[in-house]
Amino acid sequence: MMEWLEKDLGEAAERVWEIGSSLVIYGKCLLSHHSYGEILAYQFASLTVPMSSTIIHHNGSHIAKKPKLSSFSSPSEIESEFSHHDAAVARINNGSFGCCPASILAAQRRWQLQYLRQPDHFYFNDLKTGILQSRTLIKDLVNADHVDEISIVDNATTAAAIVLQHTAWNFREGRFQKGDVVLMLHYAYGAVKKSMEAYVTRAGGNVVEVPLPFPVNSNDEIVSEFRKALERGKRNGNRVRLAVIDHVTSMPCVVIPVKELIQICREEGVDQVFVDAAHSIGCTDVDMKEIGADFYTSNLHKWFFCPPSIAFLYTRKNSKASASDLHHPVVSHEYGNGLAVESAWIGTRDYSAQLVVPDVVEFVNRFEGGIEGIKKRNHEVVVEMGEMLAKAWGTRLGTPAHMCASMVMVGLPACLGIESDSDALNLRTHLRDAFGVEVPIYYRPPREGEIGVITGYARISHQVYNKVDDYHKFRDAVNQLVQNGFTCSALSD
Amino acid sequence: MASNGASKKMKLGTEFMSEEEIEWEFGHHEAGVARLNNGAFGCCPGSVMEAQREWQMKNMRQPDKFYVEELKKGLVRSRSIIKELVNAEDVEEITLVDNVSTATAIVLQQVGWGFHEGRFKKGDVVVMLHYAYGAVKKSMEAYVGRAGGRVVEVRLEFPVRSEEDVIGEFRKALERGKSGGNRIRLAVIDHVTSMPSVVIPVKELVKMCRDEGVEQVFVDAAHAIGCTRVDVQEIGADFYTSNLHKWFFCPPSVAFLYARASSGMSRDLHHPVVSHQYGKGLAVESSWVGNRDYSAQLVIPAVMDFVNRFDGGIEGIRKRNHEIVVQMGEMLVQAWGTHLGTPPHMTSSMLMVALPSSLHITTDSDALKLRTRLRDHYGVEVPIFFTGLTAYARISRQVYNTVHDYYKLRDAINQLVQHSHHPMPCSSS
Repeated sequence: MMEWLEKDLGEAAERVWEIGSSLVIYGKCLLSHHSYGEILAYQFASLTVPMSSTIIHHNGSHIAKKPKLSSFSSPSEIESEFSHHDAAVARINNGSFGCCPASILAAQRRWQLQYLRQPDHFYFNDLKTGILQSRTLIKDLVNADHVDEISIVDNATTAAAIVLQHTAWNFREGRFQKGDVVLMLHYAYGAVKKSMEAYVTRAGGNVVEVPLPFPVNSNDEIVSEFRKALERGKRNGNRVRLAVIDHVTSMPCVVIPVKELIQICREEGVDQVFVDAAHSIGCTDVDMKEIGADFYTSNLHKWFFCPPSIAFLYTRKNSKASASDLHHPVVSHEYGNGLAVESAWIGTRDYSAQLVVPDVVEFVNRFEGGIEGIKKRNHEVVVEMGEMLAKAWGTRLGTPAHMCASMVMVGLPACLGIESDSDALNLRTHLRDAFGVEVPIYYRPPREGEIGVITGYARISHQVYNKVDDYHKFRDAVNQLVQNGFTCSALSD
Repeated sequence: MASNGASKKMKLGTEFMSEEEIEWEFGHHEAGVARLNNGAFGCCPGSVMEAQREWQMKNMRQPDKFYVEELKKGLVRSRSIIKELVNAEDVEEITLVDNVSTATAIVLQQVGWGFHEGRFKKGDVVVMLHYAYGAVKKSMEAYVGRAGGRVVEVRLEFPVRSEEDVIGEFRKALERGKSGGNRIRLAVIDHVTSMPSVVIPVKELVKMCRDEGVEQVFVDAAHAIGCTRVDVQEIGADFYTSNLHKWFFCPPSVAFLYARASSGMSRDLHHPVVSHQYGKGLAVESSWVGNRDYSAQLVIPAVMDFVNRFDGGIEGIRKRNHEIVVQMGEMLVQAWGTHLGTPPHMTSSMLMVALPSSLHITTDSDALKLRTRLRDHYGVEVPIFFTGLTAYARISRQVYNTVHDYYKLRDAINQLVQHSHHPMPCSSS
């Protein structure tokens, strides 16, 4: 039976995966009477055998290894891991949705199947230990003191809801006074701003924004605006109860000097600091003890190769609020057992994305320097490519190299006429549909008195699957648009 | 082959699914396990799992494009199908969320704000059933109790003899709630309780709530579509939620929350995970709660295809599940000399069957140990409920079950009864 599978499905499996058609599998299954489970198990094996050293039988705690031929993944192995990406697209927007290699997808499938096979057994025997294993690895990765400080949640947006709900309770229960302040960056992510409205403003708090310059040239510019905003917050005797600071802002993308800002917060009597580091593991340095925040969250599906979706929320012990004061908004029978335990069971869900962290650690260690090496190389290459583009277009970068991570803002030629957020979105769609380039565009409105400035920046990224051709494709697309005398007004209805 | 629910072309002649095809669809279930606990985690057929993979891979291939071109459309399509299934008036009334626990958090958060913002007074009441699900009780603590509300529980006898018993106790609880001039702001009523499993006469109870001035009624129907009849017009509640991965063949996890438009509450309901869609109505908020895998919410067309390969579709499946589980329950009662926990008309696709008292179950922990023993030593998966006097097994029936599953349980218990006449009772560790 297995020989038949090997002969017919071996070749088809890869193609089936790419095309996404289940007809091949179904046809063969009905003819062969193999169970669906057997077909799936083989399908995973055929994907993983060339790449990883794992075998398909997964007993929940250990994955047996076969010896590898070479130490690190070769370019063709990397290509294979990401062969499910649309080959026709220059994928330079890793910042939005991240990426997940085929061997991790296969690991995820194994967990999913294991659950579906006998879910009661899985719940009683496998789930808790699997989550704890993931949490322990993350704790080591981010240099936290204790695994109790690490909770796993769906994404940074969920983590923000958890922290800000806690802030709302502080207002409602009188620990914070009406009018007390929560500070945030002007370039904070849209969802975080809405969360502020939903939980802080609605509960009686005042939100103060830190305006940030862009383009930006040095950390000092950011620090000085932050200090000014703190002063504004403390006016009229108000307390600044919470500062929400991005580690890497999303749009425009800038690496914020969080350690310095947190020190200032401590000096200035800010009660708690929450770092929103949606982009961090695999993108910037992440050391909880060094950074010194009370709460810190990062997505792992953006730059740490996890499937959608998984994030961690770090809650520092001995801080004014600990993991026992925070609650997951979806309440289960675990309510009151601490955030990490609450988050590990929020009703029947597919927890598989949270269980593959051990496989991901293995994956990144197949690269020279592990995740640190990947991070460094991403940064070096993205800066190089950014400079290549800026030169080709006669524009500039939005930040100096030391203020960017695996992404960089590259100015677009002014003649493209990007004059609004919707122009930026339309241009992005045009690049996707007409040129096969996926890259987010940021509209930077001209300030009072500014003329002839760059009003559009592309946020390019580099991840291990990128090639130089991706950036050449982008360069040439923009050059063509310029040559054709294209302006964004042609795209608006 | 359809990724979006167009009819399958590989039917082999017969119109409806054959036993062989069913076996194939559930071939991933662990062989050798009598799986009698569909109520806890549900099940998902192979063809739906494959549809889910297709959605997942479409996203992984080009996620920006997927977000912009596929996701919203797919979710609206799923919501439209649900709207038809439950007889809602407008697709805007149907929101997709992860599970009933999430829907509960949504409804109770809104009640919490009612207290915080002074619309409700401290001491105003929320009524719930004593047999409400553990997570719902904790949600009450987290959002109602903590905000200053008072929770009143409806006592329910078990075994239950008739619907009148339930209705009578509910009336008494409403009276207790209103005593002292308090307002009852919300009643949370299970459609089918979990443990013990009883079908509650929700239509009558909702009507009573309206008559007695209860402001909002929330029906927690974790087990509903494919397990009992669901007509939200008939039931008449303000909010109604059900998991689709339990009895409607969806992969983990997806649920819907129905919010009646005429109640005027939908703008007040918010998903606790706030995205840039905040303020646009619950259905839109829930359709984007940050980067997630939404594939379980997108396969509903494929599930419709699946159930329509059965005679009578989902209604046919439900009817046969009910008939057979009652039959099997009565077979076990005969074999063990015990009784059912409810009359057959108060059951759905699950049934409470009393276990022989000679098993000497005297605590909740004994019940859990028995369940573990049945799983580990006898290959039977079935949850056990202990009333304080008697232990009951909650058996279920779904399309993948065969009569041998129930014989296996029968024989396992008979063996344990035999052993209990010699040393080694359940209460040893």
